[in-house]
Amino acid sequence: MLYIIYKLILAYVTFVVIIEFLKEKKWRNQLAMAMVLLVFILRLLQIK
Amino acid sequence: MIRNHLSTIIITIVTAAMGVIAAISFGKMHHPEELFPSDGLTGKVMLSDYFEGIRGTNGDTEVYLFDSGLEGGTALVCGGAHPNEAASFLSTVVMLENLRVACGRVIIIPRLNNSAFTCSDPMEGFPASYDIPTKNGTRRFRLGSRVTNPLDQWPDPLVFSQYPSNQQLSGFETRNINRAYPGRPDGNLTERIAYSIVQLIEKEKVNIAFDIHESSPEVPIVNVIVYHENYEDIAMSAILGLEMAGLQFSPETSPKNFHGLSHREWGDYTNAIPFLMETSNPSMGRLRGRTDVDLVLNGYCDNYKQAKETGALRIAYREDTGEPMTHRVGRHIAGVVELINSYNLYYPDMQIVIENLPDYEMIMEKGVGEFLNN
Repeated sequence: MLYIIYKLILAYVTFVVIIEFLKEKKWRNQLAMAMVLLVFILRLLQIK
Repeated sequence: MIRNHLSTIIITIVTAAMGVIAAISFGKMHHPEELFPSDGLTGKVMLSDYFEGIRGTNGDTEVYLFDSGLEGGTALVCGGAHPNEAASFLSTVVMLENLRVACGRVIIIPRLNNSAFTCSDPMEGFPASYDIPTKNGTRRFRLGSRVTNPLDQWPDPLVFSQYPSNQQLSGFETRNINRAYPGRPDGNLTERIAYSIVQLIEKEKVNIAFDIHESSPEVPIVNVIVYHENYEDIAMSAILGLEMAGLQFSPETSPKNFHGLSHREWGDYTNAIPFLMETSNPSMGRLRGRTDVDLVLNGYCDNYKQAKETGALRIAYREDTGEPMTHRVGRHIAGVVELINSYNLYYPDMQIVIENLPDYEMIMEKGVGEFLNN
């Protein structure tokens, strides 16, 4: 159950970061967000 | 505006490409390297054949059977409980690829915690794999993690309560198979793997069982044979035999109040006679320098040399030669052979006779790769 809750939290945070990534105007900030998203998405997909 | 969209598109494409490359790289960790058992192999089953609860999980692993066809005892040799301990896995691979059994049976599990082979320990900088040159080329082996992959068991609790003792340990240890015995059928994956091992020991009527490990040079439990208090005679007899062969092993009794470990729980919950062996691996130590394949294989590190020379710590490290893989694998195989010889003295009706394993000098002289098939 805790595992599912963690997954849901991760999915929510990933969604929020994606929205911010698309809104962001400075490419350096976008790059930082992309690096965070990379790890989050790999974990969501059960790859890493 | 256009510039903003352009940077979004470029960063998305670059990140996606990095993600695909990383995914392929991580995916490869889930493909175990091929092993080439000796002619003496008589059967191969999966650990899930002893307990269905791990079938289809990353915890399921190969169990290799060597049956002489003659009545005798049964030995179980387990490597890879902690896949960051390279000589543990490699010792069982050398045994698997050379062993012949003349009396009784031997069961070998090279990847005891298969899930832990599919990841590495964060923040340690371990290489993902190492190569061993062999007669016919090179073989690559995975260097894994001490604990079960968090993809298979996550999140860790803040405090791990060991079953059934309720001993409190760090939450990280919940994924350590050598804190999970005797395990339970409805527990987490690590507990279910541990339960499967105990089921195997009971169903196969294992008489003597080995759990092969490595540890940091600076910890007290290194270059030891850990034994259950009921079987002190067998351990002491073997240590004497090894001493006469020039190999020093310290005897360590399994602590009665330290639960979840193989040498404690296999002895308490099954009829097997358990032994755990440790060699000194500088690539695992806190004092180590650059952590690369050279350190994993050759075990030479100036930091340990200096630390040993200060005399401030009790360090199991040979200043001149370091702790190379040949030495560590040679010690483990010599330890298993001598403990089985010692067991045979005490249980003449349940003999286990093993043949064709290289001895310590042969491995030191020719290298580990000489005894690998491919």
